[in-house]
Amino acid sequence: MKPRLFWQILSLEVRTRMSYRVDFWLNAVAGFLVELAVVWFLWQAVFQESGREVIGDPPRTFESTVVYYLCVILIGKLVRGQDWEAAISQDIYTGGLNRYLLFPAHYLPFKYAQRLGALGPGVLQFVLFGAVAYLWLGLDMHVTFAGAAMALSCVVVASFLYFVVDLVIHLIAFWADNVWSLDVGKWFLISILGGYMLPLSVFPEGVQRVLEVLPFRVFFDLPVRVFLGELGPLEWARGMGLALGWCAVFAALGRLLWWRGRLQYTGIGI
Amino acid sequence: MWRYLRLYLAFLRFSFSRAMEFRVDFFFRIGMDTVWYAIHLTFFTVLFLHTGFLGGWDFDQCLIFAASLFVADALQMTVFSNNMWWLPIYVNKGDLDYYLVRPVSSLFFLSVRDFAANSFLNLLMAIGILVWALVRYPEPFAAGTIVVFVLLLLAGALLSYAVQMIFIIPVFWLQSRAGLREISWSFSRFGSRPHGIYTGWVRRVLLSILPYAFVASYPVHMLLDGVTGTRLLHTFAIVSGAMTFMIWFWGRAVRSYASASS
Repeated sequence: MKPRLFWQILSLEVRTRMSYRVDFWLNAVAGFLVELAVVWFLWQAVFQESGREVIGDPPRTFESTVVYYLCVILIGKLVRGQDWEAAISQDIYTGGLNRYLLFPAHYLPFKYAQRLGALGPGVLQFVLFGAVAYLWLGLDMHVTFAGAAMALSCVVVASFLYFVVDLVIHLIAFWADNVWSLDVGKWFLISILGGYMLPLSVFPEGVQRVLEVLPFRVFFDLPVRVFLGELGPLEWARGMGLALGWCAVFAALGRLLWWRGRLQYTGIGI
Repeated sequence: MWRYLRLYLAFLRFSFSRAMEFRVDFFFRIGMDTVWYAIHLTFFTVLFLHTGFLGGWDFDQCLIFAASLFVADALQMTVFSNNMWWLPIYVNKGDLDYYLVRPVSSLFFLSVRDFAANSFLNLLMAIGILVWALVRYPEPFAAGTIVVFVLLLLAGALLSYAVQMIFIIPVFWLQSRAGLREISWSFSRFGSRPHGIYTGWVRRVLLSILPYAFVASYPVHMLLDGVTGTRLLHTFAIVSGAMTFMIWFWGRAVRSYASASS
């Protein structure tokens, strides 16, 4: 696909996402505040009732735990985006895939451009909420330029991995009558095993070792810890290698499903 | 009353036969909720590796809370959730007319028409987890307390439906995608943790105007700390208040419905 076309699809998706402005900002602000408030109260209770100063391995204080969650929530907006309405499964169910098959551009890069466009509002929220939360909460954060650059590369790869995992799940729609539940189930697993619901540092050591090699930590734990300077260049490189490896696995699986699925696609829709 | 009961039985028949047509989705939905139960149990298990108490409750008590949350959620998913998903779509497309002209309460029809048969199996699973959590609790519960607790959980599911509807109904005026539904989903996160962890005005709000504490946490509080007249009255006032307001709000919304699609 030509870069110009890719960019046009992306920018069109950004404009579409911003069209319901009141809705968008109300949901975004309420979602962010509630999410932060719940983890604030939860961890305040944990630290107070346990009587501990630090928790987990590596150890975190209450304040650094809140900083971790703040980063997870914000980076999550870049990795995960919002609901992806241009979902591949919908194209398959409705027969809408037909028109893409006639377009002079490949379907999957087209969808990836839409996916990147759908992240547009997340980028805006990341910058605004991040700045407001940082100034308002007065949090102690030491972020270096190198750390931010390494974290950015992690976010780009994590976002692509999220896309290819989504792709595999949505392409199952060629055979299954509804993949919504699979999609939601995927998010549940990523949220607990990727460091969104709980920092992976609070899991038992054995579980942490297993999670080191699974793809889940790539989405949140890896970019956030790199951003906060908890992981050095060597660990960053190892994490990126793991992330790229999983990207290759899911991309190959996606291509296989796409090839097989198209052979039996009728284009009638349900 | 009998007419509504007969109608509801017809809804159940249609919903089960429809669920059987989409068998893969049927099992995917069961799998999804099983994962949801597993991650919540994992969440509390991991948290209690680092603390003995959370919001004043120990691990066994939090297990009862988590299981109660599963039951209240499964009830809501089974009876109301699909219907609330479709409501804004009907309003925005101007399709509500077909429901308003029927000779039954439009609110009843639109709230319970689609019974989620696949979530019903999850409800049975959630009840199983709750029974397991109650049985493994070190102290026995009186039969009367259990009965009140079950009624409170039913009231919690009803309250959850009423509150979510209050956030969806503005779609009649806003012409947005789903009213303020996503905000209600955000607020409902408060209810997924024991209300004992919240302090100050946030706790007061969760026990009054945004009553998410009553969905699962407050019923468990009564089960563990005793059912008193004041607590029952408080619960009754909140649930009946929310239901009354929602029904009034619905009436206002339907009166202002212009039947024009957006």
